[in-house]
Amino acid sequence: MQPLANVTPFKPGSRAGAIQISNVGQVFKTATQDVVALSDVSLDIKPGRFVVLVGPSGCGKSTLLMMLAGLRQQTSGTILINEAPIPQPDPNRVGVIFQEPSLFPWLTAEENVEFPLALRRIPRSDRRAKAVDALKLVGLEGFGKRHPHELSGGMKQRVSIARGLVQDPPVLLMDEPFAALDEQTRMTMGDELLRIWAATGKTVVFVTHSLTEAVYLADEVVVMSARPGRIVDHLTISLPRPRTYEMLGGETFGTLRDRIWRHIRKSA
Amino acid sequence: MAGLGMKAARVAVVVALFAIWEILSRTGIVDPRLLPSASDTLLTLVELLQRAGIRNDLAVTASEVMVAFILAVPCGALIGFAIAENRYFAEVAKPLLFFAFSIPKSIFLPMFILVFGVGFSQKVGFGFFSTIFIVIMSTTTAVESVKVEHLTVARSYGATRLQTAFRVYLPSMLPVLLEALRISMIFNLTGVILAEMYASREGIGHQIATWGENFQMKQLLAGVVMVAVIAMTFNELIRSVETRCSHWRT
Amino acid sequence: MSAATLRRLIVVSLVVLWELLPRLGVIPELFLPSLSSTIAAGWNDAGEYGHALAVTLYEVGVSMLFACGGGILAGAIVGSLPRPRVLIMPMVSSLYAVPLVILYPVFTVWLGIGSESKIAFAAIYGFLPTMLSTAAGIQTIDPQLLLAARSMGATLSQRLTRVIIPAAIPTVLSGLRVGGALVIVGVVVSEMLISSAGIGYLISRYRTILDSPHVFAGVLLVLAMAIAFNAAIKWIERKASIWQTGTREGQRAADEIQAGTIQPATA
Repeated sequence: MQPLANVTPFKPGSRAGAIQISNVGQVFKTATQDVVALSDVSLDIKPGRFVVLVGPSGCGKSTLLMMLAGLRQQTSGTILINEAPIPQPDPNRVGVIFQEPSLFPWLTAEENVEFPLALRRIPRSDRRAKAVDALKLVGLEGFGKRHPHELSGGMKQRVSIARGLVQDPPVLLMDEPFAALDEQTRMTMGDELLRIWAATGKTVVFVTHSLTEAVYLADEVVVMSARPGRIVDHLTISLPRPRTYEMLGGETFGTLRDRIWRHIRKSA
Repeated sequence: MAGLGMKAARVAVVVALFAIWEILSRTGIVDPRLLPSASDTLLTLVELLQRAGIRNDLAVTASEVMVAFILAVPCGALIGFAIAENRYFAEVAKPLLFFAFSIPKSIFLPMFILVFGVGFSQKVGFGFFSTIFIVIMSTTTAVESVKVEHLTVARSYGATRLQTAFRVYLPSMLPVLLEALRISMIFNLTGVILAEMYASREGIGHQIATWGENFQMKQLLAGVVMVAVIAMTFNELIRSVETRCSHWRT
Repeated sequence: MSAATLRRLIVVSLVVLWELLPRLGVIPELFLPSLSSTIAAGWNDAGEYGHALAVTLYEVGVSMLFACGGGILAGAIVGSLPRPRVLIMPMVSSLYAVPLVILYPVFTVWLGIGSESKIAFAAIYGFLPTMLSTAAGIQTIDPQLLLAARSMGATLSQRLTRVIIPAAIPTVLSGLRVGGALVIVGVVVSEMLISSAGIGYLISRYRTILDSPHVFAGVLLVLAMAIAFNAAIKWIERKASIWQTGTREGQRAADEIQAGTIQPATA
């Protein structure tokens, strides 16, 4: 993987990409009652780490991700990204990738990747160069002129990742990005993501339902429980990198997976 | 979905519209000869409904609508089925039907007068002509909306043709068909009323046109309100049945 | 034989039958004048028809401005604001069941039998479906696209110009198609009912004197107008084809029936 012009490699010791979540709570007010979605969540994520959030449905992991993206504000507590709060979306600090690729159907792959740059009125030629680089990084060189409907599900999600990377934010948030893909594509995309992560040194916060995916990808797995959403376990995955398919059958892998499953079964 | 508050708000909007109408006319902002007040119009409506002549007109219009509908729906449904079930026939007929569907039917109204005169058969003929294309199109859509998986399941459990028809086709198509009937009825009613307004001796459409020509605003507005209420009530009736059936489709 | 060939054969034989049946006396000329005599009638009085066409086109143009402009604007507003939408949409679609043609006599009393009453009627006639389909289109914009744009830091006005408007274009176009066709119908029908000029007036006048060829010449002219309008919209839709990803012509028409967005094209 050759280094890219617009991607600054991760420098050890830099605070870029650090995430500090302190005593965060989220309460949804409905007509009849208040629902506590998150209660007293604290989490410290070091720059460049790959952190996976797992937990049963309704544990607030997606809500937490929305707050990290600045798309939703917490009711209490503080969230710092690069040591600053995030009152609204800031694509220079955080890139977001959703479960649905959410590509604009009327734009080509390249134009979709350029979209966040176009919002900031960056000159067209710079935009194009960055988009081409980002598409190359996700392995879609030569597909830039295609429209979303001409791309497969996996390719669309790659475009979406390229769009998240194009402004080179130190943090990448991914909300079940591979959930809609078939098993094989999902495995391939996981490996691709690890490759991109290794090449760029981003901090990744990744939400998933798949325990295998969680253990396979993560440096750290954060297990959450539902009603109210809170952190019940925080595991460090000590498996060596690069991760390989063979590890899936190994003893360490099984032990870690079991430990997460027991938490989830208990709280579900 | 719509709460009680929403329903109340809707009633309030209607009441407000009638109030504005009343005020505009009463205060003379709008010439009451051009816009009789809402209360006068409603009183006229009550008075009209007591006249034997008007009730006869309503009966004539209703029978024209019913006959046209009863003729158009089975014919259209049959053609629609044939098209949906036979791929070759579908390929031949569909573009032609789309074309027929997209052209305005009302300009052919003079032709119906030339052929049928201005009597009952002309209204029924034009009502039929206005309705049949939409029935064909909707039936085709309804048949095509039957899920292949359901048919496969039925067949794999050994359902006969008749069983498939009654246990798979009919229940899956029912909501779509009801919707189709509702829209066909709108087309049908519009066709018949227009035909009555254009050339006729009786029927509520004819009455409305005559009141218009004679500048009888009170009767005219009462007639408009009457037809609108009848059409909307009928529409809502079918729609409530539709909602009840809608849980079949997911 | 391929389906397309058979279809062409059917169309050709219909045209031939139109010429032959009246000529051979199978159908009386009063019911259906032959194609050639219809065209001859139109040709001989081309000046009269041309003048009528100009009147009709003027009325259609002005009504379309009101119907489509107002319909798209109102639909966009109602569609993008959830509360008014829940309040108004069921009322509007209920209103849609009313045969609006009964309003025309009211307009003739208010505005006379000149162009004004036609324009008012046709504008209202085309307004409802345009508004309904625009509102439906705005509503069906994938909320995920808006969320994605927001996560990239798009401002409110950027979301409007870069997401909502482009995403709504196909629906606006189909609203234009339905609304425009209805405006044409509305103008011609109101001319047929009561008026003193326009193609609809010519059709009605020749009908009262039982001059079938002239009636049919007028009908053909209106048909040509409707087809030309349809073709023009289709051309624009093709130009914007990127937006139409994966929707086939048939499917779209079927959807419109389902959604009840087609006002009866009968009046």
